[in-house]
Amino acid sequence: MSLSGENGLERKRTEILKLVSTLLVTLLLASCAATPPAPVEDRDEVEEEVRQPAQKDSAGVQVRPLQNPAVIELLAQAGDAEDQGRYDDATVLLERALRIQPHDPELLQQMAEVQLQQKDYEQALNFAVRSYDSGSRVGEICARNWRTISLARERLGDSGGSREAEQRAGQCMSTRPEKL
Amino acid sequence: MARKAPSRKKKKTSRKAAASKRATNRPTSKAARRSKRKPSRASRIFRFALLVFGVGFGLLVPWTIYLDHQVRTEFEGRKWDLPSRVYARPLELYPGLAITPTMLTAELRAAGYSKTGSPARPGQYSVDGNRFAIFKRPFRFPEGEDPARLIRVDVPANSVGNLQDGRSSEPLSLVRLDPAEIASIYPLLREDRTLVRLKNAPELLVTGLQAVEDRNFKHHHGLDPRGIARALWANIRAGQTIQGGSTLTQQLVKNYFLTADQTIVRKANEAMMALILEWHYDKSQILEAYINEVFLGQQGGTAIHGFARASRFYFDQPLKHLSESEIALLIGMVKGPSYYNPRRHPERAKTRRNAVLQMMLETGLISSAEAEAAFNSPLGVVAAPPGNRQKYSAFIQLVRRQLAREFEEDDLKTEGLRVFTTLAPSEQAAAQNAVTDGLGWLGRNGMSETLDGAMVVADVSSGEIRAVVGGRNPAQAGFNRALDARRQVGSVIKPLVYLLALEHESEYNLASRLQDEPITLRQPNGKEWSPSNYDNKSHGEVSLMQALAQSYNQATVRLGLDIGVTSLLHRIEQLGVRAEIEAVPSVFLGAVELTPLEVAQLYQPLAANGYSVPLRAVVAVETPQGAELTRYPLRLMPQPHREAIAVLNYALTRVVTDGTARSLPGMLNNNASIAGKTGTTNDRRDSWFVGYTRNRLAVTWVGEDDNRPAGVTGSNAAMRLWAGLFSEIPVEPVDLRLPDGAHWAWVDDVSGAISDEACGGATQLPFVDGSEPQVMTPCLAARVEQKDESFWRKWFGKKKD
Repeated sequence: MSLSGENGLERKRTEILKLVSTLLVTLLLASCAATPPAPVEDRDEVEEEVRQPAQKDSAGVQVRPLQNPAVIELLAQAGDAEDQGRYDDATVLLERALRIQPHDPELLQQMAEVQLQQKDYEQALNFAVRSYDSGSRVGEICARNWRTISLARERLGDSGGSREAEQRAGQCMSTRPEKL
Repeated sequence: MARKAPSRKKKKTSRKAAASKRATNRPTSKAARRSKRKPSRASRIFRFALLVFGVGFGLLVPWTIYLDHQVRTEFEGRKWDLPSRVYARPLELYPGLAITPTMLTAELRAAGYSKTGSPARPGQYSVDGNRFAIFKRPFRFPEGEDPARLIRVDVPANSVGNLQDGRSSEPLSLVRLDPAEIASIYPLLREDRTLVRLKNAPELLVTGLQAVEDRNFKHHHGLDPRGIARALWANIRAGQTIQGGSTLTQQLVKNYFLTADQTIVRKANEAMMALILEWHYDKSQILEAYINEVFLGQQGGTAIHGFARASRFYFDQPLKHLSESEIALLIGMVKGPSYYNPRRHPERAKTRRNAVLQMMLETGLISSAEAEAAFNSPLGVVAAPPGNRQKYSAFIQLVRRQLAREFEEDDLKTEGLRVFTTLAPSEQAAAQNAVTDGLGWLGRNGMSETLDGAMVVADVSSGEIRAVVGGRNPAQAGFNRALDARRQVGSVIKPLVYLLALEHESEYNLASRLQDEPITLRQPNGKEWSPSNYDNKSHGEVSLMQALAQSYNQATVRLGLDIGVTSLLHRIEQLGVRAEIEAVPSVFLGAVELTPLEVAQLYQPLAANGYSVPLRAVVAVETPQGAELTRYPLRLMPQPHREAIAVLNYALTRVVTDGTARSLPGMLNNNASIAGKTGTTNDRRDSWFVGYTRNRLAVTWVGEDDNRPAGVTGSNAAMRLWAGLFSEIPVEPVDLRLPDGAHWAWVDDVSGAISDEACGGATQLPFVDGSEPQVMTPCLAARVEQKDESFWRKWFGKKKD
């Protein structure tokens, strides 16, 4: 993973966009079609760009609620730690929960969100993908998975992949998984 | 010394001059001077004494400087010589946890819990059938302190049922036990100590120590003539030595430079050093050093220093929880820890303890009621803690290697770090038994008795290593075969070849036809290579899945040639294994030398449905004060083509159901679906078995250390050891759910064409999207036509032409 490489790519992209838009404005006197990059620093981008939209997408439909009380307890503690900005503690608590239920999509998605908070976009992406693979691929968690993937890809410089993921997020309520 | 001589000479000359002047007024002639030169005896003695004194004084200065340096270096250097402590993973209990009563007992014992009828204090447990009562100890984890607690846990049907608070019976959802201490990494001097600050030491310890050993501690300057006199008097009265005359300061010095002989020179040195110590440091510093330094016992080859460590060693209690009689015992042992060893000489120890209690009473440190109760109380000493930690030495070697990437060995030996690892003591024990017992069984049943083996056990999803077995005899901690035995892997490499094939979805799927026919290749050295199958037969046209399940060499080589050796070598590297491998076709059949740990790293992503995680033994390292130094978090690396991995996984379960590992299910006492691969090398020198369930991956190797033909195959040796472990630990069946990008389809067993459930002779197999066979069986074609017909009929009312 070479984040610096991707940042460099992003800068180049921005420059090219500026050039193109200037040309277009000059030539066409029309507003530029290029989308400016998303605002860089949101105080809680996870809340605003992942959790809330996902809730709206899926009307809060939970497909597979957690059942293990130990995991529920650890998840609650991890949530508190995250709220208080103690991201390392949240990670440790989620790892403990994952040792108990390694394939739980809620835990994996929560871990993805903590990674987003810590700006580790590559790990956020990986955990969100794993959550999606392990889950029923439908409902709110599916939306959170894809919104996380979308946000992470954008930060990693993959705008095309980011848009694609956003579309997948929208499909979580309407798509039935292809098998099982 | 030269300095002194001139002044002496001057004195002599001046006295002589003065004397001769006084004696006579005449100018002194040579003869007269000569007759007056001979000095008196008194002055000779005086001069001699002055000479001695001068020499002595001259030597004293450098000697003092030398001692001063020694003492200060020791005093300031020793403070940080703490061994680092290594912990296993803590066991987390929750309702539904799969664990057997045997395993839970093994965990408790590894953590130093002692079995009693009814647990009364932390560190004790009781068992009644499968009902456990555990008084768990408090423990400071990196994230915070877990308090002590009495809990009850039932383990019916090999999983945790009820879990509740032992006092209130409140049901609990999660209880984390304190982790077993599995090793200490000692300073060179092999001493064990835990630091305690003076202000945190029990008051009775501090005052009692002075009352017994050095009443005048607060006032003297290092040596105490009054103390010596008092002790002498007390000893004469008692008829035996009950008090020592050395001060605590002197004893501290003696502890620094512990030697058996107490010669005059040594005693003089110690006296001097005591004075120096008092000159440099204040009473509280000296007392604190003493409390942490004093020698209080021996555990095998390791010396126990300091009251805090001794408190754990003798009573399994923290220092602050000791009772009056326990403190008195430890103070009493200062005089002679071996002589008063409470485990070896309980009577002597008790007498000595009571003498100390008496002194405490006399000096008003305890009341007569307390003294009375204490006199009659039992010693309270627990059995020696499990000193035999050799069983973990193979795992610890891995820990040290992982730590060596970030920490200097010296830091580990002297900084008192706390290392949190991934080891599961119960699984380690089961794995070692599986290897030792398995090899024993093989030796008794026709195989060589000098075979050795190795095993690595890992948690699939987290990559945490739960056990490492380096050989059949853990006491022989020499060669760690799990980490260092680099052996040809044989057929164990094949799944990677097949994975690469499956990733080319337009060309290969599980039903693809391969030719298991003879093939000859010319090697770089000019020789010809004609691999044969294990049964020396060629099987003609076979499916890709069969070729893998039955481990056909000829089909594999043909497939491999299509894939390319370079692709295989790249994939091995990409999966995290760096090895020197010659790029020749025999690599497809496992002419690759890897260690069991490396093989485990290769298979982990397969077992984890394509989510690669670096295998690790350490989770975190912190300072003695609890500040985090390093954390090794869970980091996922999804492999590309996870759908191909899912398809491969299925094929590896077929290895076990009807392939080369088909005798495995019979060796286990459960029906859970398992994926695996056997491996046998040329001349049967190596036997490998890699097998995994949803949550555990284990790699087993068996062979002779000198690499001679051993008569072992993958299925007759290593697999048996693997079964020995997996019969003892709870097992979760392999997850055969397919990810996005793969689907199930029916295919004909013979032709490999797409078929249908309703058609006979068909099996449902997984396929990477886009890889499924294009050809339909006649049966399916007919059914499709029928469906089409009914569609048209429905809509257009006429038969489709």
